[in-house]
Amino acid sequence: MNKVRAYLSTLLIAALVITSLPVAAAPASSTTDLVSTQSVLANDSAQADRERIHQLLNRADIQDELVKQGVDLDEVEARVAALSDAEAQQMANQLEELPAGAGVVGALFAVFIILLVTDILGLTDVYPFTR
Amino acid sequence: MKPFFMNTIYCFQNARLAGVFILVLLLTACASAPQLRDSTEQRLPRQSEISDVPFYAQTEYQCGPAALAMVLNHQGVDTDVETLIPQVFIPGREGSVQPEMLATVRRHERIAYPIRGSFDDLLGHLAGGDPVLVMQNLSLAAFPMWHYAVAIGYDLDDDTLILRSGEIERHTLSFSRFDATWARTDRWGFVVAKPGTLPEGITARNAINAISAYEEAHGPEATLGSWQAMTERYPNNAIGQFGLANAYYANQQPDKALSAFQAAAQRDPQMGAAWLNIGLLQLQRDQPEAAREALSKAAAIEGSWQERAQEVLENQLGR
Repeated sequence: MNKVRAYLSTLLIAALVITSLPVAAAPASSTTDLVSTQSVLANDSAQADRERIHQLLNRADIQDELVKQGVDLDEVEARVAALSDAEAQQMANQLEELPAGAGVVGALFAVFIILLVTDILGLTDVYPFTR
Repeated sequence: MKPFFMNTIYCFQNARLAGVFILVLLLTACASAPQLRDSTEQRLPRQSEISDVPFYAQTEYQCGPAALAMVLNHQGVDTDVETLIPQVFIPGREGSVQPEMLATVRRHERIAYPIRGSFDDLLGHLAGGDPVLVMQNLSLAAFPMWHYAVAIGYDLDDDTLILRSGEIERHTLSFSRFDATWARTDRWGFVVAKPGTLPEGITARNAINAISAYEEAHGPEATLGSWQAMTERYPNNAIGQFGLANAYYANQQPDKALSAFQAAAQRDPQMGAAWLNIGLLQLQRDQPEAAREALSKAAAIEGSWQERAQEVLENQLGR
């Protein structure tokens, strides 16, 4: 399974890079397309092209990582496609460190006392019974 | 014997640690109560609550999908927690991450506008009728307990905030306690709006980024109304005019596109991309003289678009 996945993702990366090459390699002058709002926000045409390739690689990485983290194969493509370039960048760089909102769960007992005190002091909101 | 010995030392150290902790916290506790600006106190009603925000109790770690379901439902999206879990929950992380929270809103054809991270802004949005999806760290930075909740109201007389949070439909807590938990996420939060509307109090920069991200997903055909709302609110913003122009162009309204590009160039004469697009549009409309004038301006401005403008001048107009 892992081998298949590794093979598939290599193939996917290759396919994405190849399909993106004409975009990147096309001389800008040959087209009279208007400059998009997104390239202005990215602020540099050549850099935007380079970033596009980088983004495609990033997105394949994110897809891989999300599947590893248990996200459904059926869903993962739509989820990654929904990210803006800036968000994809953020995800690719720091998926490991991004805080994941999870909600109120039991804390270790060693931490219990400290959090109890901070709850009473009004600095945290872990135990509803402190109020 | 040894484990017992180790245990006692452990406890002693812990007790001392806790003592230091409490001392430090006591010293910082007073400073953490949020100070509202005078203008906020005068401007806002004393109480406000958006009580028609539906409530979904979170199950296990799924506060992200639950909070999203509440704000999306409130904006008329027909969805529920079960639908949102596979779209935004990451099983391996037992949670949901911020970029995907924003992206999932767009998948449901709504725009997520990050708010400015201040207590004044938060209350302003609530008074304006927009529930705010906030991220908190309920615990301390050292033992984080990340959490998404939906702020729906406040009471200025007893300094309390009202949230739909976790399993509590109407969770009230003091401004200072909430702000302490919210500050640990750099006061992150967003409001949700239908395309074509811009909630009160969103900064020009946040509006531009949010509309542009929506455009990446749904194309400039879908953002015309939002750019119109944005430029109505911030008529002097050059990038807003530029975005509006591209949306007009995508919607087959080249005349309006041209005048919006010209408005962008007028607001910011150093915006090479605006002059370049004016030139390209004039070329398409078979007005080579006007095109040459605009392209020459673009070609004279140092920066990202200079080279392309020079190339178009040479290749299309044979300078």
